[in-house]
Amino acid sequence: MFDFALKNIFFYRGRSITTFILTFISTMLFVVFISWQDGSHKSMLENSLKVYTGAIEVYHKGYRDVGGNEYLIRDVKAITDRLSNIEGIEDFAARYETYGLLSSKEYSAASMIAGIEPEKEKVLSSIALALREGEFLNEGSGNCLYMGSELVQKLKLELGEEVSFVGGASDDSFAADIFKLCGTFKTGSFEFDSSASFVSRSYFDELMYADNKASYITIKVKDLDDVDRVNRDIIKALDDEDLESLTWKTLMKSMVEAMEVDNVFGYISLSLFLVVIFFVIMIYGFINVSSRIKEFGVLRCIGLRKANIFLLLVYEILILSTLAVAFAGPIATSICYYYSINPVVIEGIAEMYKDYGIVSDEIPFDFNLFTVSWNIGVIYLLNFLSVIYPYFYINSFRPIEATRHV
Amino acid sequence: MKKILYILIISTLLYADEASEIMQKVDNNIRGKNIYMRLSMKVVALGHERIMKMENWSQGSKKSFVKVLYPPKDKGITFLSLDNQMWQYVPKIERVIKIPPSMMLQNWMGSDITNDDVVKQSSIVEDYDARIIKREGNVVTIELIPKEDAAVVWGKVVSNIDTQTYTSNKDMFYDEEGQEVRFFLYDKVKKFGEYYLPMYWRVQASDKKNRFTEIILEEVVYDKDISAQYFKKSALKRFSR
Amino acid sequence: MYRLILKMAWKNSFLRPARTLLVILMIAVSMSMMLGLQGLYDGMLKNMIEKNKRSDSGDISLYAKEYRIEKDLKYRIKDADAIKAEIEKVQGVKGVILRIKADGLISTARKSSFASIYGIDLDEEEHFGKFSEFLKEGENNLKKRGAIIGLELAKTLKVRIGSKLVFSTQDSSGEINSIALRIRGIVQTTNISLDNNALFVDIKHVHKFLGTTSDEVTQIAVMGEGTQIYDTLKTNYPNLDVKSFLELQPMIQQMQDMMVIFNSITFFIVMSVVFIGILGVMYVSILDRIREFGIVLGIGMQYKYIRLQIFMEAIFVGLLGYLGGAILGTVLLIYLRDYGLDLSSFSDALEMWGYEAVITGTIKVSYFTSTFWAIIAASCLSILIPLRKIKKLNPIEVIKAEK
Repeated sequence: MFDFALKNIFFYRGRSITTFILTFISTMLFVVFISWQDGSHKSMLENSLKVYTGAIEVYHKGYRDVGGNEYLIRDVKAITDRLSNIEGIEDFAARYETYGLLSSKEYSAASMIAGIEPEKEKVLSSIALALREGEFLNEGSGNCLYMGSELVQKLKLELGEEVSFVGGASDDSFAADIFKLCGTFKTGSFEFDSSASFVSRSYFDELMYADNKASYITIKVKDLDDVDRVNRDIIKALDDEDLESLTWKTLMKSMVEAMEVDNVFGYISLSLFLVVIFFVIMIYGFINVSSRIKEFGVLRCIGLRKANIFLLLVYEILILSTLAVAFAGPIATSICYYYSINPVVIEGIAEMYKDYGIVSDEIPFDFNLFTVSWNIGVIYLLNFLSVIYPYFYINSFRPIEATRHV
Repeated sequence: MKKILYILIISTLLYADEASEIMQKVDNNIRGKNIYMRLSMKVVALGHERIMKMENWSQGSKKSFVKVLYPPKDKGITFLSLDNQMWQYVPKIERVIKIPPSMMLQNWMGSDITNDDVVKQSSIVEDYDARIIKREGNVVTIELIPKEDAAVVWGKVVSNIDTQTYTSNKDMFYDEEGQEVRFFLYDKVKKFGEYYLPMYWRVQASDKKNRFTEIILEEVVYDKDISAQYFKKSALKRFSR
Repeated sequence: MYRLILKMAWKNSFLRPARTLLVILMIAVSMSMMLGLQGLYDGMLKNMIEKNKRSDSGDISLYAKEYRIEKDLKYRIKDADAIKAEIEKVQGVKGVILRIKADGLISTARKSSFASIYGIDLDEEEHFGKFSEFLKEGENNLKKRGAIIGLELAKTLKVRIGSKLVFSTQDSSGEINSIALRIRGIVQTTNISLDNNALFVDIKHVHKFLGTTSDEVTQIAVMGEGTQIYDTLKTNYPNLDVKSFLELQPMIQQMQDMMVIFNSITFFIVMSVVFIGILGVMYVSILDRIREFGIVLGIGMQYKYIRLQIFMEAIFVGLLGYLGGAILGTVLLIYLRDYGLDLSSFSDALEMWGYEAVITGTIKVSYFTSTFWAIIAASCLSILIPLRKIKKLNPIEVIKAEK
């Protein structure tokens, strides 16, 4: 049967070539499109994560719901010691966030002021990269304030000017100080840029009595795909009922859902293409088969069983699909791989999608063998489905009828 | 029949009237024509306590000036409330700051009292309709429902008033659903001429057992001449020392 | 002659009925799916734009010069009533309304949050943008300190119909003022900034609260299409900030552009594959009958008639496919328009980005016309190759040769 199928393929070149090309195209389309979709989602995610939120964050229970000094993490060192042994963590830092009133000469605004470890933040977030004017912080920055550009505008500040701060320390007592505006940043997220300011922890902790305390600990993982596993390890290592460790999937829930929505639409569009291609493959298969009615009739007359005819058809499509996939697979895979390393750059896309958190002009593709495999699997399946109707068509002829077919 | 109805109506009105009268007297006790207090405030939270000492000059219900005496790092901080506005002076940074609406609901100096409370002391009489709901000996329980257009967040306030001294021994604040959100306790009532005042106050959020604020009045003087200078913006810096 | 050719073409199309039907089915299904998809996407966008216009900026909005940057109450438009009356007289203007907005703090007994109060005239909003359609719960009533709150804000504050709220802000003289409001209705405008931040209160009330006169507003919104209105307003009010909808929402402009690109790509790909389908069928059907054509040519039939016949065959198939697609497509589009695609399990994210949970499609005539021409084009192109084969035919050879 197999040899027979092989012979048929070479004999009916037209059909073979078209089927081959169509399968080739659909495989390429499917794999590359999904790869691009996943890639852009991932990059969207990474970009928004990069801005400030960590891939994983450790909180004291209650902080996220109620907030306030009651739910601060009070022994940061104990936690960070336990974290240093976990495989998969690239780096982490303890942030102390508080809300207070910042005032320039004439204006005041409520703002979040965060005590950060500047060297760590360079790795963990992109606030250093978002520098606009002046300079970012370092360990010895003292009372330097690094402020979002929208907030700077609201307060009508210039670099080097004094900003007064009034708020509550970690023990609720009154805290006030004068900061100096040393640098401004613009991440593109209006909300963030209009309500966030940063100070070096070494200075802020003294003012806030926040030594060894934190609002939460932010963690960067080496591989985003591994985040759930790393989180489980963290929870085990922490071994503390009062602490919770959350991944970005919880922290950025709405982004997750938005991506899912985008996926849904992507799949709907893709299925349109696949349906059309499926039809055409089936038509060609059908045409091919219908022109061989006589042939099949003769075969059945001489005793070939229905099952074998089915097998024949299956072999034919198997050979064709495999051939097409064998070409398309590696090519599509290499395209994905290449573009995942060297992302496509579309100028101006960052501006457009600023509000969605896209910070760079690159569109990387996602290279994931598993995804590629099931994509190819679907194409295979569709191809096999395309022979079902032709098969039934053949069987609708009685063998004798078939031999007389024109 | 009509007569009974008539009596009922009159007595309800009287009751309501009586309730507002009682609240008016309570309010008067807290304020006098003007009042000077020196007090200490203890905030207990998260297992530790903090003590602050301050002086307060108030005139009527719209003007109030506070100066912090202790702890040393906060000494000289002054607050001025005029009508609904509040200003603060912080000597450490030598700045006068106007408290914006967004900070009004923040806790005052980390206690369980909000800035809004400090500014809106008057509202009990003006913004609520009073009604007596219980009488037990000298203690009258009055229910205060906010008037339709009163800008207060509470669903209702319930006060236990001792009619011998016209001071409250407990105020309970409820949200719109009828759940108690916080309460004030008062004790150690002392007489000052024609006025009575509890010398011990305690403020607590109803769902937090180990967090509260205690105020102990150390010195109280009623109706002494208070210079109008205290209630001007210039007072903030001037009396900070 | 032509009648004969027509009849021949028709009969020949259905020589192998199953084959032809398959092609027709393919065209019909592909076309209807594509139409459905386009309708859906366009519907989504249209919905968003419309809601945005109705709830916020209208087609054009006017602000005081500094307002959009400073967002401060002190930058307000004076003589608003006079301006409104003037604008209403401009040709093409369908509605003008006045709004005053202030940012501040909204609080309940347990929680507070940043919010903005919008002073509106409910009747005028109804006329302007059918405000009552945004209502999700409660009623459209702003009497007696009533307020209508945005859905997301209501969720944040955990309030319901009948809840009391206190809103504080700095009024026009810089003094802090508070007002008590009762929730009478909850709206979902899918305009993110409104759903997350807005409290709608009767404009007279807000004026009193802010200490502004009824003649002062922060925004004048105009409904009326056409660049003429825009130009007129820009010339008439040089001291005000006149902005069109797309200027105020550049992101939507980009979304529109993206949508056009996307739909075009989809269209192109689908039509190309349809073309391949028709090509295959026509090619094979002609090849099958090559002897026949040879004979016919041999007995003197002119090539141009053969060409015409084949052309008709292709057109028949194309047209029938188009018809099927049009019917199926219309059904699908009507379903999508009236019932929509239910994505409520993603409602949180959708609402956050400004979409509704149930997405309704829209129907545009262009869907049908452009597909029509595309299918005709595909049919025509598909016969080119087979025709060449026929042209090169040597009748004698064909008769001799075995198929």
